[in-house]
Amino acid sequence: MHRRDWLKGTSAAGITLLSSRWVTSAEAADALSEKFPRLAEVALSHATSLGASFADFHLMQTDSESLFAREEMVQGVDADSKLGCSVRVLVDGAWGFSATENLSETAIRKVTESAIALAKGQAGWRAKPIELEILPAYQGNWELPIEVDPFTVSLEDKVEQLLGINRSALNTGANYCFSYLLAVRERKWLANTFGSRITQSRVRLHPSFSVTLTDPKQGGFASRESFLPPRAAGYEHFRDWNAVEEAALAVEQAKEKMAAPSVTPGKKDLVIAPSNLWLTIHETVGHPTELDRALGYEANYAGTSFCTPEKLDDLRYGSERVNIFADRTAEQGLSTIGWDDDGVQTKGKEFPIIKDGIFRNYQMAMGQAALIGRDGGSNGCAYSDGYDSIPIQRMPNISLQPGTDDAVTAESLIADVEDGIFAEGRGSWSIDQQRYNFQFTAQVFHKITDGKLDGMYKDVAYQGNSVDFWNACDGLGGKGTYEMGGSFRCGKGQPGQGAPVSHGAVPARFRQINILNTAEESGKKTASKCDCSGGGTAWA
Amino acid sequence: MGLSKQDFESLGEKILNLVEADGAQLWLHETEDLQLRSANNDITSNGVVDRFKIGITVNYGKQSASIEINQSNDEAIREAVKKVQQMAKLAPEDPEHLPPVEPGDYLTPINFSEATAGMNPEDALKQIRPVIEQGRSAGVDSAGYLERSISSSAQINTNGVFIHEQSTGVKFSITARAAEGRGSGWASTQVTDVSELDLAAVGDSAIQKALASRNAKARKAGRTTVVLEAPGVRDLLSILSWNLGQRNYDEDRSFLNGLVGEDQELIGNQIFGENATLYSDPLYEPAPCGVHYYGIPRKKTMWIEDGVMKNLMVQRFWAQKNGIDPLPWPGNLIMPGEGKSTDELIASVEDGVLITRLWYLRQVQPQTLLYTGLTRDGTFAIKDGKIDGPVNNFRFNESPANVLKNIVASGKQERVLGSEGDSPMHVPPLVVKDFNLSSVSEAS
Repeated sequence: MHRRDWLKGTSAAGITLLSSRWVTSAEAADALSEKFPRLAEVALSHATSLGASFADFHLMQTDSESLFAREEMVQGVDADSKLGCSVRVLVDGAWGFSATENLSETAIRKVTESAIALAKGQAGWRAKPIELEILPAYQGNWELPIEVDPFTVSLEDKVEQLLGINRSALNTGANYCFSYLLAVRERKWLANTFGSRITQSRVRLHPSFSVTLTDPKQGGFASRESFLPPRAAGYEHFRDWNAVEEAALAVEQAKEKMAAPSVTPGKKDLVIAPSNLWLTIHETVGHPTELDRALGYEANYAGTSFCTPEKLDDLRYGSERVNIFADRTAEQGLSTIGWDDDGVQTKGKEFPIIKDGIFRNYQMAMGQAALIGRDGGSNGCAYSDGYDSIPIQRMPNISLQPGTDDAVTAESLIADVEDGIFAEGRGSWSIDQQRYNFQFTAQVFHKITDGKLDGMYKDVAYQGNSVDFWNACDGLGGKGTYEMGGSFRCGKGQPGQGAPVSHGAVPARFRQINILNTAEESGKKTASKCDCSGGGTAWA
Repeated sequence: MGLSKQDFESLGEKILNLVEADGAQLWLHETEDLQLRSANNDITSNGVVDRFKIGITVNYGKQSASIEINQSNDEAIREAVKKVQQMAKLAPEDPEHLPPVEPGDYLTPINFSEATAGMNPEDALKQIRPVIEQGRSAGVDSAGYLERSISSSAQINTNGVFIHEQSTGVKFSITARAAEGRGSGWASTQVTDVSELDLAAVGDSAIQKALASRNAKARKAGRTTVVLEAPGVRDLLSILSWNLGQRNYDEDRSFLNGLVGEDQELIGNQIFGENATLYSDPLYEPAPCGVHYYGIPRKKTMWIEDGVMKNLMVQRFWAQKNGIDPLPWPGNLIMPGEGKSTDELIASVEDGVLITRLWYLRQVQPQTLLYTGLTRDGTFAIKDGKIDGPVNNFRFNESPANVLKNIVASGKQERVLGSEGDSPMHVPPLVVKDFNLSSVSEAS
């Protein structure tokens, strides 16, 4: 039904069944599941009749709920529901894609024709045809296991927990605090001309807070954000978080940060907690080993990669103890799913990216493995972030494996550092378009003196080259120290798409890493230069 | 695209008739995007994407909630209204909540072009094909992105606001890479009216930069004078604008707090160089924008004039609390320039670096608005007023506030894209002294 038709009051009974309703309704999902085979048939048969050698039909419903609390006020109670479908076709070696929120058969035929026209418009002037491997046909259902559906928990319960965080922060001395909770549910239906018909559903949760202390007299302020990562999990992820205690700790750490000495720049040993290291893994290993980047497909936006195909099985990416593994099957992994958005089953497609320090494999979507002469096809890394986005290669969960000695902990890594820093919590991040030069900060930088934590530093950033950095790794925590961090929305592509992804890590030690003083970088005189460490303000 | 102004009015009325709350605001938005993406001198992905959104915010006194859906059938709307009202009734009172805005005096927008709205996929493919072939002929690998957007929206509320806006835009950027010698060049454009689009010129600029940037020489990091081309300038000014909020300043947690003395007023104080001016104007023809921000009228507003801080952005609640007028976030940004050519700017530099664009800008230190990021796609040494060949890329650590203090000269305004946001901006390239190129990047 066209929107104008609605306005004229003409209603089609079939469409009413496809109402977004309230989006958490299982009924609405059941109605979509019932309708899906017919809609898929319309799209795929039409695409084939118009000349597509391959086509897929994606039906997708994304629901989200977010709550935002500032100090003692709840300032955002928001819900969002997006429902629509897309058709992707391959005609004479060229892609065409079109999407609509209108689920009528007429609209689906129209978007199919639109996709076909885009593909056919490239006829006669393509340099190279796109070629795909043949994928198995699956009839499957997959649902993320969760304990408590966050969309069924009362608003009062969620609000009370958020306000409890803020109260804890304010009572401990924060001037300002905000907290929020974001829950997302993705439901996906995929049909393709290989014969697959796949239905999937998953949920993810992102609880977070930030506390801020100000010091108007000295002209400074400091913040500390929570460490809890987003997860592919139910409400239990938020419910079981001792956020009240962490908020109080965050305020104490922000106080300590404000009074801390400004770091002296130069080389120092660095021990990094999983709460910070996950993002370093993401930027220095995750993105460089995306095959589409390495082959130039992201050159106009995210960039290319130092990690080019001739380095496969040859590049010493890290020291011998470094093992980095990729999967889409890890428990609570944000990238975890049964089949990727090309229809590749993820179970059995797990792979090492770095094994014993050597670069071993890329992340790949359908049609990419053959471009570098690899057997085995895609390793299940396609994703589209909505009905209106074409699937592209996105990151699986990519994780640093524990060291061989289970007895090693953050404390034991710190114990072997004379003059160094222990970093916790995600801070600022930036890396060049080929993933050589990175610079990161953290929420908290602890000073290490003679193997022990010795207060804090402020104004710290660590900077280096990805390969040098991983080769400087000389210590990894054991199995018991493994934690999973992650990003709710990692950006890539044009138009931009956001993908959820997790990264497991253990505490790790890196020798002689370049430490910057960020206050000096901004042109300010610092405590480290005026010999007044132990107090004062960095930006005075 | 199918809804007229009258359609939006009818739909709005139907939704408001379902609402039983004390107040409601609606945002109805219809878009059609045409996307063409290329890499390795071929189209890689593309799309024609229709989207429709209905945003509903309701309030019972100071309890409020919002919902957004994209289905426009009776049942979906009824369910959404019912749900958002339930949510609002359960939400705690927000002492800062304000009722929907009163109707204002809105300008007539000028950011819509019939020609752009009429551009179809065949037209777009015809336009991009010669640019891709240009890359093949030049022996470079090109990757680009063209997007044509048509948007139609209505802001409606129970206080009588009805604002209908239509807008169009085309943006295009292209990266050319020369495998031999590791050269890379980038160029971009953004227009409201597609008839102003000159893709060939943009493609040629990227190719020439790629060829000229091959075999870069090593140059050490350090503070230096830079000629920062317009894409980098717009990135830094965007960042600055996001941080010009009155409330954060009043709460002592803005970089602006560090720029004035304890007894000084910020507004009216010259805190930047006298050649720094920044304003916004929805009716600025080279880069127009929408005429309201959630129902609050946008007008021509001077933010910084000759280095003097003139205005900060003020949210409705903060304005009411402090007895001042709200001042909405701008939809565009304009920095006047001296009109000098890039060659003239280069000629004014004894020793420095020309930067084509910046990349991966992230905040490092909010207290000073220190940002880090990198140069990419065309970085050149300048010696004795002339280009002295390509050099390696750099990571910078610099604050836009410092940049506005250190402007030496400026060029001719351009409407280009950057790495940070794509709202319309018309800014010149700048010569900036003491720019902190903090470390060397091996990327090329």
